[in-house]
This record gives sequence, structure tokens and C-alpha cells, in this order.
Amino acid sequence: MPSPDELLGRLVRFVGELLGSSSLRFEIGPTLVLLGVLLVLLQLVARPISRWVTSDAAGLAGVGRAMALAAESGTDAVVSLGGAGVTRATDALGRLQTLAAFPILGHVARAAARSGIPLRVLTNDPIAAVMAAATIDAAHASTATPERQGRSRIVMVGEGRSTIAALAMTTRATPAAAFAVGSLREEALLHLDGLHGGAGSMATASAEAAQAPSLLLSGGGVLIGPEPFQAVADLRTEVEERTMIMAANRLIGLAIAVIVVGSILVLAGAFDLAGFLAGTNRG
Amino acid sequence: MRRPTITALVVIIGLLLLADMLVVNAALGQVAGVAVDAAILVAAGAALAGVGALGARRLNDLWRRRGDPIGAVMVVAGMAAMLAAGLRPGSTGTTDPAVQWLVTALLIPIGATLFGLLFVTTLGAARRSVATGSREGTLLVVGALVTSVLLVPLSGPVGEWLADAATWSLAVPIGSVLRGLLIGIALLTAVYAARVVLGIRGADD
Repeated sequence: MPSPDELLGRLVRFVGELLGSSSLRFEIGPTLVLLGVLLVLLQLVARPISRWVTSDAAGLAGVGRAMALAAESGTDAVVSLGGAGVTRATDALGRLQTLAAFPILGHVARAAARSGIPLRVLTNDPIAAVMAAATIDAAHASTATPERQGRSRIVMVGEGRSTIAALAMTTRATPAAAFAVGSLREEALLHLDGLHGGAGSMATASAEAAQAPSLLLSGGGVLIGPEPFQAVADLRTEVEERTMIMAANRLIGLAIAVIVVGSILVLAGAFDLAGFLAGTNRG
Repeated sequence: MRRPTITALVVIIGLLLLADMLVVNAALGQVAGVAVDAAILVAAGAALAGVGALGARRLNDLWRRRGDPIGAVMVVAGMAAMLAAGLRPGSTGTTDPAVQWLVTALLIPIGATLFGLLFVTTLGAARRSVATGSREGTLLVVGALVTSVLLVPLSGPVGEWLADAATWSLAVPIGSVLRGLLIGIALLTAVYAARVVLGIRGADD
């Protein structure tokens, strides 16, 4: 049985050996820059106070009213999680948009649960379907309406981006409110046009820059570019949620300042900041 | 309801992967590899379970004569055809000619047929946008009309001027708007990713 000092000594030796057998993947400069950016980000995210006033770009604050209208008309509401999914073969930006859709789904699901409106969630990814089911369950648990849980359903539309658009275009049911949140690409206009047919209200959100015109043409509330990620923090009045917006705005300001300063330095012939940051001016 | 265990797990795995990205260490790399492999296995298992549930649901619909029977038959037949082509004895899986034929001769043409509707759908959406008087939609349609005029294939000095104007509009105003959008998306993606890694959620989640 080792004594406490021996145990401590072994631990220190173990950590020392571990550090001794390690090396930095990048050079010291880029590593410190990366850690510094993370530190700034964490400081901004963890800031306990907020003085930022947020807007309601896609009219998500009016979801409750849309659900009340749905209750009057006796129809349901549809939420499409886009065409990327979580585990499908797609890029990280698409997956992150699907992840960003879940808080919005939760927001809609809570309003639907309170009004007794059944939700139809469209997805083409089995993991996203499981996550959507858990989100709806949580919404019913938080609103103390478990008896209404069974009326909502998750529709797994099959593989591919076009399948979800095809289903939206061919479904006869006309929902009172339709939401399309997530990655929408070439199929965006077909998808949104299908959802729009007959829907009382419509809100769309996608961070695909090339599909911004499709969203604008679809009508209704629209979140374009970075806005879907911002809206997630906008849904509630929690301090931590609102500070995300403040952090994002400060990062945008910081990035603009770096671009402006870098451009001035390059024009003045003093220093190539872009080359330094991208690591292309070495050797 | 907050679940500190899950949040702690997310933070630990996130820090582990971050440390593996920054530091070259055999032991750390192996631990990070185990975490990534476990995530892939769980995702693959859940994906298989999801596909199985979809098939079982459609078969149950057919058995109980409820829902959309034609859709259920199509789903079950499609799954059976793909499974038979990919798993039959002697098949080479996804590279098997039968699987590739199903994809190239059926799936891709069906998708292309759907996308053929885009011309009509775009015109319909533009008309609806103008009719509803949406400011952004109207601006978009006007911009599209101006771009269409710039792309008219004319010869002579007028044609050259139009081509130059089209190139300039693509490179300067449209390019700057797209770059601005992409910078904003990249920044907020980073913020949102940090939010996910740190497990920051609303109190009512």
C-alpha cells in the first residue's frame, strides 16, 4: 500500500511522462491564438449579465397565436427539420443547422402542447427522428400535458433530400402552421412551396447562404444566414441565451475590425495580416 | 430539466477532442479515438434501428389496413429491393451493379424529375411574392429581372457592356452580400457549437 506522498509522486511522474511524450500539433503561435479565441468565446458566453435587446425576426414569438388559430380550425402544425439530418452523409454546417432546429422545435412543441395541437415532424434521418421525439416528450413534460403526447407524430420520410420535398408537395393535409427549420439546399423552393400550400402561417429558417432567395420567395417569417443560430438564443429570456447574441455580435465586430485593420496594413505595405493568420507567409 | 451528467459528459468529451486536436500524444489519441468510435457505433446502431422501425411501421400499416397503403407498399418494396440487391449471396454491397443500377436508373431520375418542377415553382413563388407585397420578395424579383436583362446574349458594344455589368454585379454586390452572410454564418456556427459542447440550454429544456 503506497503512502500518500508516494502516490502523489507517482501521479506527478505519470503526468510528467505524459507531457514528455507529447508534442504540439501546431506551432506555439497558432496554438495560443486558438486557445485565446476559445477563452474569449467562453468569457463572452459565460458573462452573467446582458444589456442586449433582441428582435423577433421570424415571428417566433407569435407561435402561440398560430397554435390558438390551429386549435380553432381543428388542424395540426408541421415542423420540417430540413434535409441534412444528424448522421446522414452531409457536411458539418448542415448537421449543425439540424441541431439548431431542435430548440425551435421545442419552442413550437411547447406552444402546441399548451394549445392541444398535434405536431407532425418531418425528417429524413433516424437519429433526428429520435431527437425530435425526445424534444416533443420534453415539451409535454414541461407543460404538464402528457395526455396529449400521443397525438403528435414523427414522420420519417426516407433517405435523400428530395424525398422530404416530395412528401411536402404531395401531402393533402393542410396544417394551420408550418415551420421549416434546418438545412435546405437545391430542394428548398419545392420543399417550402409544398409546405406553404394551405398552411395558415409559415416560418422558415436556414443558414444556407445560396438558398436565401428561396426562403424570401416562400413568404412568411424568414431567418436567413446566421439568423437561425441567433434565433435559438432569442427564444427565451434566459440570461445565458441572450448573452450568446451579445457574444456573436461582439465576435462579428471583432472580425470586421480585424478585416479593416488588416486591409489598411496591407494597403500601407506594412504587414500582411491575412498571410500571418492563414499561415501562408512562412518559408 | 437539467441533466448535469449529460452536460458533464459533453464537456469532458469536447475537451478531450480539443486536447487531441492541439496535442500529439499516443495515449490521448487512442482515448479520443475510442470516444469517436463509440459515437459512430451508437449512431450506426440508432440508424439501423430507425430504418427497421420504418419498415416495421409500414408493414404494420399494411397488416392493419390503415394509413396510405400505396406509400407503404412502395417503401417496403423499395427497402426489399435494395436489401436483396446489396445482401444477396455474391453481392459486393454498395458497389454491386444491381445496387448501382437501382440508384442510377431509379433514384437519380426520380429526383431529377422532381427538380424539373423548380422552373414552374420558382415562377409561382415569384408571382405570389409580388402579389403579397412582401418588400424583400419584391426586391428579389426586381433583382432577378434586372439580372435576366444583363444576361441577354446580344452582340456588339451593347452586348459587351451588358456582359461586363453582369460580371461586375456577380463579383461586387452579390459577392459581397454572400461573403457577409458566410462570415456571419461561420461566426454564429462557432458560437452555437460552443453552446452545444458546453451543454448550455434553457431552464425549461
